[in-house]
Amino acid sequence: MAEIVYLDNAATTFPKPREALERMIDLYAAKGVSPGRGGYDCAQEADELVYGVRKRLCQFFGGDDPDRVIFASNATDALNLVIQGAVKPGGHVVSSELEHNSVLRPLHHLRGKGLIDYELVPFDGQGFIDPDDVARAIRPNTQFVLLTHVSNVLGTIQPIEAIGAVCREKGVPLILDTAQSAGVIPIDISAWGVSALAFTGHKSLLGPTGIGGLVLRRSFEVQPTRFGGTGIDSQELIHTQTYPHRLEAGTLNILGIIGLMAGLDYLATHRMEAILLREQALARRLWEGLAELKKVKLYGPDRMDRRLGVVLANIEGMIPADVGAILDGDFGIATRVGLHCAPLVHRSLGTGRAGGVRFSVGPFNTGKEIDQAVEAMARISRSR
Amino acid sequence: MDQPAESSRPAGADALQDQVRSLAGREIVFDSEGFLVDTLQWTEEVARILAQESGLAVLTDTHWQVIRFLREYYLQNGRAPLNRQLKSGIGMSLLEIESLFPGGLKLGARRLAGLPNPKTCG
Repeated sequence: MAEIVYLDNAATTFPKPREALERMIDLYAAKGVSPGRGGYDCAQEADELVYGVRKRLCQFFGGDDPDRVIFASNATDALNLVIQGAVKPGGHVVSSELEHNSVLRPLHHLRGKGLIDYELVPFDGQGFIDPDDVARAIRPNTQFVLLTHVSNVLGTIQPIEAIGAVCREKGVPLILDTAQSAGVIPIDISAWGVSALAFTGHKSLLGPTGIGGLVLRRSFEVQPTRFGGTGIDSQELIHTQTYPHRLEAGTLNILGIIGLMAGLDYLATHRMEAILLREQALARRLWEGLAELKKVKLYGPDRMDRRLGVVLANIEGMIPADVGAILDGDFGIATRVGLHCAPLVHRSLGTGRAGGVRFSVGPFNTGKEIDQAVEAMARISRSR
Repeated sequence: MDQPAESSRPAGADALQDQVRSLAGREIVFDSEGFLVDTLQWTEEVARILAQESGLAVLTDTHWQVIRFLREYYLQNGRAPLNRQLKSGIGMSLLEIESLFPGGLKLGARRLAGLPNPKTCG
């Protein structure tokens, strides 16, 4: 395959670190049995490996109990687990117009079933949620507040510590969607007053697709909504209530868990903070280059200190689908066009049904690639 | 010839947004963005009418080259060509092809060729 300039890291980071992939193959070849199912040594060792990753993730996110690190398939899967396992009939949820469909659709579904109601707080012209709006939206029957940490469309980092303080004062749990932030922004859910966090492994955590999960605080209960084999309490037909198994029916994705471990190792070696600064510097270079182009419109704040490496753009007189196709076919640059599964963000931005062209940088992009993207956009926009 | 994979969709999907128009002597169903719902309803006359409606009074040989390539590729493979396949198949850059059609690549070339509306939401 021809080399591409990959600027779709907000969808999934690519490529993955070679050493992480090699580690996955080696460990899976040696320990890829069903963890915790069976008394033979290898199964015990696989279980220890899984528990070791739970401990690391718990520490990584500031959790308070490794048994409350729950593995799921991805952030959407984890969000479904926590939403459906935490709502009660007649309840109310506060969320925002910045959310991805992984939040909007479960909430919409539950409201359609007559089980809950919800309110979506707006975001300002720069792409930030106001904590006071969250406070105002909370009702006596609000069961939790569920917000994205970072917008997948604008890259804006939300004021979660301030919102956490609001939620603590109101006595309402806060659930955080860290699909875009986990692995690139230091997160401390205990310090921030967050009750539950959903993450995915295949973005900035640099693991493979198919692995993600939840980190729950001890004070926050989630009821199981899926039932089956867990490897414990097998004599009972009632699904176990013991964490983490109560939320993990079926054999775990041990290959994905190994990949998560390898990703965490990579971040520890290469320093997450350094990766963040580098990505923000690349995004700034991209933003400043695109801002020079007459027919290019940019969205969100021009300051990079409160956003990640995501830049949303449009070219006057062209639909984003065509811009993306030309970037790919003529210039070998991969971006994500359209609505980014966040239709309410685009509705608020006025980018409607067509959406925009999203450039998202990752740990392996270079300044030269950013310059190529700017030059490509310059050539395309000059054709108008 | 196999039925193109992208031409079918679940019964009722987006049906409320569909429009039936009488075009070139046939009743043709279009989706909300003006794409044919059933690619097999396409004819060259339909393409000419859609082109005129988009402000393209005459389809030149180059336009027909693009439209025929898209259709032939789609009917043979059950999907639209990849970006690089369209570029190499026509021998023009995508930017040049985009500029040929008032609606560009998607709403112009692809729609006039009668290919289904791509469903990737982005």
